[in-house]
Amino acid sequence: MAFRLRRLRENGSLLALPTVAWLVVFFVLPLAVVLVFSFMSRGRGGVAILPFTIEHYERTFGVFFIILRRSIGLAALTTVICLLLGYPLAFFISTRRRRVLRQIALFLVILPFWTNFLIRTYAWRILLGEEGTINGVLLSLGLIGEPLSLLNTQLAVVIGLIYGFLPFMVLPIYASVERFNFRYVDAAHDLGANDIRTFLRVVLPLTLPGVLAGCALVFIPSVGAFVTPDLLGGAKGLMIGNLINKQFGGSGNMPLGSALSIVMMAVVMLSLLVYIFANRREAGD
Amino acid sequence: MTTYDVELIDIVKDFESGGGRVRAVDKVSVQIADGEFFALLGPSGCGKTTTLRLIAGFEQPTAGKVLIRGIAMEGIPAYHRPVNTVFQDYALFPHMTVERNIMFGLQMEGVGKKEALKRAQEALEMVRLPDVGTRKPHQLSGGQRQRVALARALVKQPAVLLLDEPLGALDLKLRKNMQYELKALQRDVGITFIYVTHDQEEAITMADRIAVMNDGLMLQIGTPREIYEHPGTHFVADFIGETNFIPATLLERGADGIGSLRLTDDTVIQARLSHTLQRSSGSVTVAIRPERIGISSIHNALRGAADSGDVTMLDALLVDSQYIGTDTRYTVRIGDALNLVARVQNISERDSAALAIGEPVTVSWHRSSTTVLDR
Repeated sequence: MAFRLRRLRENGSLLALPTVAWLVVFFVLPLAVVLVFSFMSRGRGGVAILPFTIEHYERTFGVFFIILRRSIGLAALTTVICLLLGYPLAFFISTRRRRVLRQIALFLVILPFWTNFLIRTYAWRILLGEEGTINGVLLSLGLIGEPLSLLNTQLAVVIGLIYGFLPFMVLPIYASVERFNFRYVDAAHDLGANDIRTFLRVVLPLTLPGVLAGCALVFIPSVGAFVTPDLLGGAKGLMIGNLINKQFGGSGNMPLGSALSIVMMAVVMLSLLVYIFANRREAGD
Repeated sequence: MTTYDVELIDIVKDFESGGGRVRAVDKVSVQIADGEFFALLGPSGCGKTTTLRLIAGFEQPTAGKVLIRGIAMEGIPAYHRPVNTVFQDYALFPHMTVERNIMFGLQMEGVGKKEALKRAQEALEMVRLPDVGTRKPHQLSGGQRQRVALARALVKQPAVLLLDEPLGALDLKLRKNMQYELKALQRDVGITFIYVTHDQEEAITMADRIAVMNDGLMLQIGTPREIYEHPGTHFVADFIGETNFIPATLLERGADGIGSLRLTDDTVIQARLSHTLQRSSGSVTVAIRPERIGISSIHNALRGAADSGDVTMLDALLVDSQYIGTDTRYTVRIGDALNLVARVQNISERDSAALAIGEPVTVSWHRSSTTVLDR
C-alpha cells in the first residue's frame, strides 16, 4: 500500500487527470469556440457564419471602446475605493486583542453573503431611487430642495460594486495583517522611522500580498460585472458585461459578443499578470 | 552633579489584563553610567524586558521618570530616542536585504544612499560578516542574523544599546563565543550596553554591573562579585549560582557585621550578616556556596581554629557523591534533616575517589564565606 502511494506521489499527474479532462471539455474547448466565433460573421438570428472577418474587433475598439474604457475605469475606481476602505478595516479587525471580537467582526464582513446578490442589488435601487430612502431623508431634513438623480448613474454602479466586492478586499488583507509580526514596527520605530514611514516602508510592503490578492479579487469581477450596472447603471452606467449579455440574447450578435468576451478576458489576464509580477517582485529571489 | 547615560527614577509600569491590573515593574530606580555594560537579570516575567522597553520608548511608564543623558524622555517617541535595540528574535525586516536593513536607520536620519551603503558595509565588517550584504535575512544562520541585528543597531551610533536576550536563540557553543565577542565589541565601541538575560552565568561573565529583578522589583544592584559574594536577599542568593540555605536563629548582632547564631541542633556558629538584614534576632537563614564548604574524613583536626569562631566545623554523614569532571559534588547530612551540598575541585584523580558514601566526615567553612539573610 505504502509502495503504491509512493508511486502515486512520483506519478502525481494522474491525480489531476479528472480535473484536467473536465477543464478541457468545459473550458478550453468552449473558449476555442468563442475565439473562432469572434472572427466569424453574423448570420440570421445572431449566429456565427462564415466568412471570417475582424469587423467585431474593429467595433470593439471602435464604437464600443467607450464602454470598454468605462468598464476598466469603474472597476479600477471600485478597486481603489475598496482598498482605501478595506485596508483600515482589515487592519482594525486583525489587531483586536480578543479573538471573539475578531471573529464577530469577520462574521459581520461576510454577513451580506447570506442574502442573494440580486436581491441586495435591488435593495440599492430602493435606497438610491428618486423617491428612495436617501432622497427621502435628505428632503425631510431640508438639505436638498428636490430629489437627486442617484439611480442610473455611474456613481450608483460604483456604489453597488463597492458594496458587493468589499469583503473580497477585506478578507485577504485581514489574513496578511494577522500574519504580520508587530515586532517589525518596534524595530522600525527603534531605527528612527515615524509612524508614516514605518507604515510605508515596513507594514505596507509586508502586507502587500494581501493587498494584491484583494485588488485582483475586486478588479476582475468588477470589470465583467453585469448585474450591478444592469440594475443600478441604466444607459449611462452600461458596462462591457451588459453588452456581452445582450449579444447572446434573442436578436443579438454572437460573433460580436465573442469578440467582446475575448477582449475582456485579455484585460483580466493582463491584470492577473500584473498581480503575479508584483507578487514575484515582492517575494524577491 | 553627575549625569548618567540612563537613569530610572521610581519607575512603575502596570498592564491591564482581563479586568485586573498587573504590576510589571515596581518602583525601579537605577543609574547607569556612560560606557557601562549593565545586565538586567531575572527569571521570565520578572519585568526585565518591560524595563528595557520603557527605556526604548515602546512602553510608557505608569509612574516615574526615564532620563537618557540627563534628558527626561516623557512624551518622546521611540523614534526620537538616542537608543537602539537588538531584539530577541532580531526583527530583521524580511523584505529587505541585509544591507537595506542596516541602511534603514541611517536613511531615517537623512543620510544619503551612497554614504549609508558605505557605513552599512563598515558595520558588517565590524561584526565580521563582510560578504552577506546582498542576502535576505532568511538566507542567514541564526548566528549571522544576530550579528546583522547588532550591526543594524550599532551603525546608528546610539548613546545606549539595548539588548533583549540577544543570544537566547543560539546554541550553547555559539552563545559562549558570542559572549566574549560582544564584550570585546562593547569595549571597542565604548557604548553603554543594557543587556537583558535570564542566564546568570551570561550576566556574570559579561556585565560590569548586574541588577537582579523578580516580580517587578529590582532586588539588588552590584558588580558580579558583589552579587555573588554578598547576595542581599534569599532570592538573589538562590538565583545566582548554587547556594545552601541553613535555617538558624539569630542570637546576637555583633558590631563588626558578625552575628552568632544557633542552628536547629543547638550548635552555635558565627556568620557574616548581610547589610540588608532587617532582623536583630529570631529566624534567619545562613547562605553558603557549595565551593566554600570544605569536606574531610579527618575528625577534630582543626577544632582549635573552630573554637576561635573564624571557622565553623560540623560533624556530618556523606550521603551522596557525584563526579562531574572538574569537581566532585558531595551531599552531606548534618543531624537528622539538614542536607548541604559541597563542591570540591578535583586537583588530582585521587581526590575524586577519596571519600566513600556512608562515611562520617567533617564539613567546615570560614565565616567570611557565609551571608545571613532574612528568612
